[in-house]
Order: sequence, then C-alpha cells, then structure tokens
Amino acid sequence: MFRTSLFRSARAAVRAAPRFQSPIARPVARSFLFQSKQITPAAYFQAVRCYSAHAGLSKDEVEGRILDLLKNFDKVSDVSKLSAQSHFSNDLGLDSLDTVEVVMAIEEEFSIEIPDKEADAIHSVDKAVEYILSQPDAH
Amino acid sequence: MSSKALNLRHQVIRIYKELLYLGREYPLGYDYFRSRLHKAFASQANLKDEDQIKKGIERAEFVKKEIEALYYLKRYRILRQRYEKT
Repeated sequence: MFRTSLFRSARAAVRAAPRFQSPIARPVARSFLFQSKQITPAAYFQAVRCYSAHAGLSKDEVEGRILDLLKNFDKVSDVSKLSAQSHFSNDLGLDSLDTVEVVMAIEEEFSIEIPDKEADAIHSVDKAVEYILSQPDAH
Repeated sequence: MSSKALNLRHQVIRIYKELLYLGREYPLGYDYFRSRLHKAFASQANLKDEDQIKKGIERAEFVKKEIEALYYLKRYRILRQRYEKT
C-alpha cells in the first residue's frame, strides 16, 4: 500500500520535473545510455535505486534461516520431521507458548516486530516464510 | 473465539513475552527461568472463567514487578560489594 503510493508519487515527481534528480535517489549508472532528452520518465526511474529499497530476501534463504532456528530450539521433539511445510503443534510437538517463543526468535532473526494478530496466525513454517517475505523491512 | 476472549489471549501472550524478555538476565540462567515460566503458564491453561484469567494476568504483572525489584537488588549488591572492597 505504502510502497505503491510511494512509487506513484515518485513517478509523478519525475514526470513533472524530468531534469531534476530527486535528492533521495542516486543514479546507479549514468552512462551514455541515459542521455537526458531521449529517455522516458518511467525508464529513468527504473535505473535508480532508493536507499530505502528492500534487501530482497529470497524464499530459500528465509526458509533456511527459519529451519536453522527451529533446529536449535530445544523443545522441537523430532528434528527429522522438520521441513518447510511442518506445522508447529501437529508436526513438531510445540504448544502455543512454545509457538510464542518461536515467533519471538523469528522476530529477532529478521529484526522486525510482528504485531499480536499476525503473530497469532503463524502456525507453521510456510506461514512464517510467507509473512517474512511480505515484510519489506525484514533483514 | 469471541473478540473478548481473543483480547484476553493477546494480553496473556503479551505478558508472557515481557516476562521472557525480562528473564534473560535471570541470575540462575535463562533456561532455568524459561522452563519454569512455561510450566507456570501451562498449569493455568485450563482456566475458562474470564475473571480467573484476569486474576492470572494480574499475578503475572506482580511477578514482573518482583523480577524488576530483584534486578535492582542485584545491582545494588554488586555496587555495594565493589565500593566496600576498596
């Protein structure tokens, strides 16, 4: 929501004043390809990367980090059952309090804060991966 | 689950998280604290009555204050020990 409105306003700004570089963004490569007269505003903005752009976590990386975290969690009863689809209480034998601890560990691992309601919905590894991927500020 | 019950559930989870954060500095170690806290909360898991749950939350708040007081005492003792040695 916020991201789309940001892009829209940035695009509008570029369209309104194509000559000015916006102060928050820096051109990645200013080469002969980008001569100011020929480029369209949208293409111009694509060649620019904001400092606020998100780190781009891949799904495999997120999954691997969450699985590692669970492997080190001493209450996981059966490590062999650990997989990307495993459910915290059904497969791993964790109760709701343990789930809270797992969510806390995930919060720390990715340096984000998960609100109560969302935290309540995380019951399985793939739900957690999905949630982390939907957060632009997860690291 | 009704919204009231959900609200209570979130309150319980919040106080559980706060206590866990506090327990990291516990003198007997975090693992000791964590297993005891888990047992204490799990033993109250069968509470259904709203007032009973509220009482439980109040008790947890009280325990939280006690742990804070324990840390102040620990710090005071350490400081006193260091200053008396010189």
